[in-house]
Parts: sequence; structure tokens; C-alpha cells
Amino acid sequence: MQGAEAPEPGPQRYLDVTGVGKAFRGTTVMSDMDFRVSKGELVSLLGPSGCGKTTLLRIIAGLTPTDAGDVLLDGHAITRLPAHKRNISVVFQSYALFPHLTVAENVAFGLRAHGMAKGDTGGKVAEALALVRMTDFADRPVSALSGGQQQRVAVARALIVDPVLLLLDEPFSALDRKLRETMQVELKSLLRARDMTAIFVTHDQDEAMGVSDRIAVMNAGRIEQFAAPSDLYALPASAFVMDFVGLSTRLHGTVATSQNNKITVETTHGVVKAHGALTTGTRVILGVRPELIRTEGGENSLEVTLADAMVLGSKTQLHGQAEDPDRLLCELPGMNSGFGSGDRVTFGWDVADTLVYEASA
Amino acid sequence: MRARAERIGLLALPGLSFLAVVYALPLFMLLLKSFQIDGQFSVAEYVTFFTDSYNLSVLWRTLRVALLTTLLALIIAYPTAIVMARTKGIWLSVFLVAMVLPMSVGVVVKAFAWTILFRTRGVLNDTLLSLGITEAPIRMLFTETALIIGAANVFLPFMVLPIYAVLRQLDQRLPEAASSLGATPVFRFMNVTLPLSLPGVVAGSAFTFSLAISMYVIPSLIVGERQQTLSMLTARSFLYLRNEALGATISSILLIIAISVVLGSSWLASRLGARS
Repeated sequence: MQGAEAPEPGPQRYLDVTGVGKAFRGTTVMSDMDFRVSKGELVSLLGPSGCGKTTLLRIIAGLTPTDAGDVLLDGHAITRLPAHKRNISVVFQSYALFPHLTVAENVAFGLRAHGMAKGDTGGKVAEALALVRMTDFADRPVSALSGGQQQRVAVARALIVDPVLLLLDEPFSALDRKLRETMQVELKSLLRARDMTAIFVTHDQDEAMGVSDRIAVMNAGRIEQFAAPSDLYALPASAFVMDFVGLSTRLHGTVATSQNNKITVETTHGVVKAHGALTTGTRVILGVRPELIRTEGGENSLEVTLADAMVLGSKTQLHGQAEDPDRLLCELPGMNSGFGSGDRVTFGWDVADTLVYEASA
Repeated sequence: MRARAERIGLLALPGLSFLAVVYALPLFMLLLKSFQIDGQFSVAEYVTFFTDSYNLSVLWRTLRVALLTTLLALIIAYPTAIVMARTKGIWLSVFLVAMVLPMSVGVVVKAFAWTILFRTRGVLNDTLLSLGITEAPIRMLFTETALIIGAANVFLPFMVLPIYAVLRQLDQRLPEAASSLGATPVFRFMNVTLPLSLPGVVAGSAFTFSLAISMYVIPSLIVGERQQTLSMLTARSFLYLRNEALGATISSILLIIAISVVLGSSWLASRLGARS
């Protein structure tokens, strides 16, 4: 807490997870985890199942103890504080509404847990139910609610205690696609209006892109990149992030020449130019976002045989024939690309749009 | 679909007819007998029973013992069930075997084992005396307390298992959600875990009470003839007094109590269940 390591002032460090580690039955799922969230920020932990995102959420909530490191909230260490003293609300994937209580009783639970008499909760409960447009359902048993309604009740129940932090574990995964998008918009504006700091856990990149100011992409217990959605998409920090967030053309190859921060890479589909200072012979993974590829020659050009042309309404995806793990993908706006499977097409793109990653192992 | 469902219902036929012949029919005849004197309808036997202070004292003792047995079993069973619900793997198997295995040992064997432990010069009294905790042997056998302890021991699995089954199915996110909303462990238990486990408590209590109110062997062996229960009184009426009318009446009273408990508990369980 002194010298060069003194915490930065201001809102930068509202939630401060430092050096957190966790092992289950001898298997390390997380080590030396650092994760910082500012006040009022909506953040997502995005990653495949088993990457440790739910563990991190549970550690922040106090539902899982840490083996190492500290969790600080607004400058105070809460690492050893039990969950019920943290004032951090959690919305679970299954919503975890109390089945023996009505909608209003569920929402009132947090108030009563904080010592408010049953008779005094009415006003705040009505307010919270109005916030999520569930006023008419106050006296219903929760089992009579649809998925979307249950989620609204879970949100009202979580917000009524004025939490310092709201954690949501896959909150939309139980909803069908249409409803999911509606609820995302609704929840986001609700949290914004209350200046709530919230952390979403999700494995769905669209969801993370939609609801968050910043996304922490997690893989194997580490945060690979923590950035705004647009930065994450445009400049993925690793091949994993590039693959996990959005689609891309992806080619494996070996650096053939390297000069003045420019390299040429030998791939099975041809030679590709890119920016980078890698030594000759390095194994690399190249990536290009599909909408940056044109069907004409460019600074980089590859001759591609189409495996399929998929019309997706607002856009058309051209899939080139490629051996896994390589992938050739170009996205054109509109429905009438004029291409079909078996066609020979030129994929062209700029050198600056070529992402380069050193292949691990 | 409908016809199929009806045909599946036929599978219950053997069970139903078995129960009808060996259970419902004899009990119905017994009930009929208790309302008859010399072929005429009469409630005289009931009047006789309920005006006899000795019979009333037996009825009261039977109810009291059954109630206290249920209560004792519940107090011991609930924490056990909580621990079992949180246990996995080999330790859960150990618990389940420990619960079920004693049921395979006959009540008679158990009762004689208690006799060795509890009698005036038994293991327990000898230990207490040699340790100087007591001056003279305590009378333990042939008391109502011994009966309640013994009965609670025998019926414990019937209390533990239903509660365990309900607690096991409890979604662990529910207590976690309660904690995140600021509920202390005590508040959480009182407002989430306990109410959601009530169906198990009701089922276990109904089992135990029904068994305890009609137990015969356990009181015969532990307290003997001195302190009768309704079951013992019934047996005595049939076997020794040759008073079939009295026997039928007491049986019917036991039956009515048992049926009320079963109906009452299933009503309570469905009411509790309807909310969840």
C-alpha cells in the first residue's frame, strides 16, 4: 500500500481483484488473477465453460472462498467477509427464486433479511416491481411465471437491497433468442439509469458485446484480454480472443521473410504479407475479419474455391475450401453476391488488416 | 392415449386386490364389529371405553409416547439429514448403511440388547457407579423415558430418510441467493431451508407417529405389562380377556387415529407442496 504500488485514485478501482488463486481438489482453476472494474461500469466475463468465469464471480460474491489473493471493494478488503455481509447481489442462471414465496415475498426477502418488518416492505417492493413492470404479478406464486418474468423478479429482488455490485451468472441463457435480446436492452438501460456496477458472466459473445462497456475474455483461468467490445473485435490480443469473439479467416503458416517490421508468411493457400517483427521460421496464425475481405485482388490476394455461399439475410458468407484448423471466410453485404459453391474467387485484403499471432507449441 | 393410460392402470390391480383382501376387508369387518352388540348397531362399546378412566389413561399414554417419540426422532433426525444432504461418495454410503442396517436387526434383538445396557446392574449403571457419578443404580428399564428413547431409535430411519430426500433435492442456489441478499445463516435457515424441507418433516413425522402409536413389541419388551399402550390393550383383550368387542373397539380407535394422521399429513404436505 505504499511507494510505486499505491492504488490509483478515483473511480479506476472500484472492484479490485488482485492475485486471486483457486484450486479444486488439487486442480488449479485460477492463479494470480487480476481484475479491476470501475464504478458504474457494465463488464462481462466471457469465455468457454470451464474457463473459470463462474468461479471468479462466486469469489467476488463470497460464495466460494479464495485460496490466495484479495478482493477489494471501494478500497476495503472484503476477501474474508461472508457473502451476507458484502451487499453484493447475485442473479443466478436459474434465477433461484424462492419457490415457497410469492413474487412480492421474493422481492421483499432482502429487506426482511436486513431486519425490516414484514409490514414495512410494501412501498419498496411496489417500487421495485414497477421498475421491472411486474406490479400485476405481486401475489402470484413464482412457479406461475414465464422465464422472462422470472428474470425480472430476480432482478427486482437483487436490486431492492441497493447492492454495491450486481453479479449476473448467465442471466439470459434460459431465455429464447428473441426474448433474450429484448431483456438485454431492458436490463442494460435499467442498470444504466441506476448507475449500477454490474458483472455479467456469459459464454455468448453477442450477449457480452450487447450489454457491456468492457469484456474480459477468459481462457483456462486467465484473462486473455480486457477491453471495449470494438477493440476486442478489431484488435484481439490473442488467437484465442480472435476465435472466441466474432468470426474470421484463419490461416496457419511459417514466417518466410522478415524485414522492417514486415513479414511474409507461407501458408498452404499462398503467401500472405503482414506487419510484425517475427523471426524467419516462426510458426504463426494469421487472421482477417471476414467483412474486411473483398472478392477482388488487394495487397494480399488468395485464390479460393468456394465450399458454400450462405445467404444470411442482411449479409452473405463465402466459405472457401480449407483444411481444419484453417478457415477461409468472406462476408459480403446483401443477398446477391452472385457466387455459388465450386466457384473460383479471389479473396483480397489490406496488409494492415492482417492479424498475426505466434502459434503456441 | 386415454385407453393406454387406463390399461397401464391395470398394472396396479394385483397390488390393489392384495391390499383389499388382506388389509381393507379385515379392518372393515373389525370396524363393523366394534359398532355391534348381538348383531345390533350400538356405540355402547365406545361409551364404555371412553368412560373408563384406566382406558383413557392408556389412550393418553399412547398418544403422549407417540408424540414424544416423534419429537425426539425429529430432533435427532433433522441435523443428521442436513449433514447427509451435504455428504457425497463413500461417506454418504456409510450414513445410508448406518441408517438402514439396524432395520435388519429384529426389534426383539435390539430390545434385549438395551436390557443389557439399561438394567439395574447393566453396563450403563455399572459405569456410572464405578465412575462415582451416581450413588445407587438408576432405574432405567421399565420407564416411559426408556420406551421413548427405544422407539425413537427404532423409527429413526423413517424420519431421517424423507427429510434427507427433500434436502438433497434442494437447489443450492436458493440458500446462496439468500446469503447474497444479506441473510445471516440463521435467517437463511429459518426462511429458506426449513420451510422448503417441511414436506419431508411432515412425511417423516407421519411415518414415525403412525408406527409409534401402534407399536406393540417395543413397549412389551421395554416397559412390560405395567404400563399398557393401546396396542397392548388390544392384544390383551383378544388373547387373554377374550373380549373381542373391546379389542375391536380399541383397534378401531387406533385405526381412526392413524387414518387421521395420514390424511392430515398428506393434506399438509400438498398445501406446502402447492406453494412450491
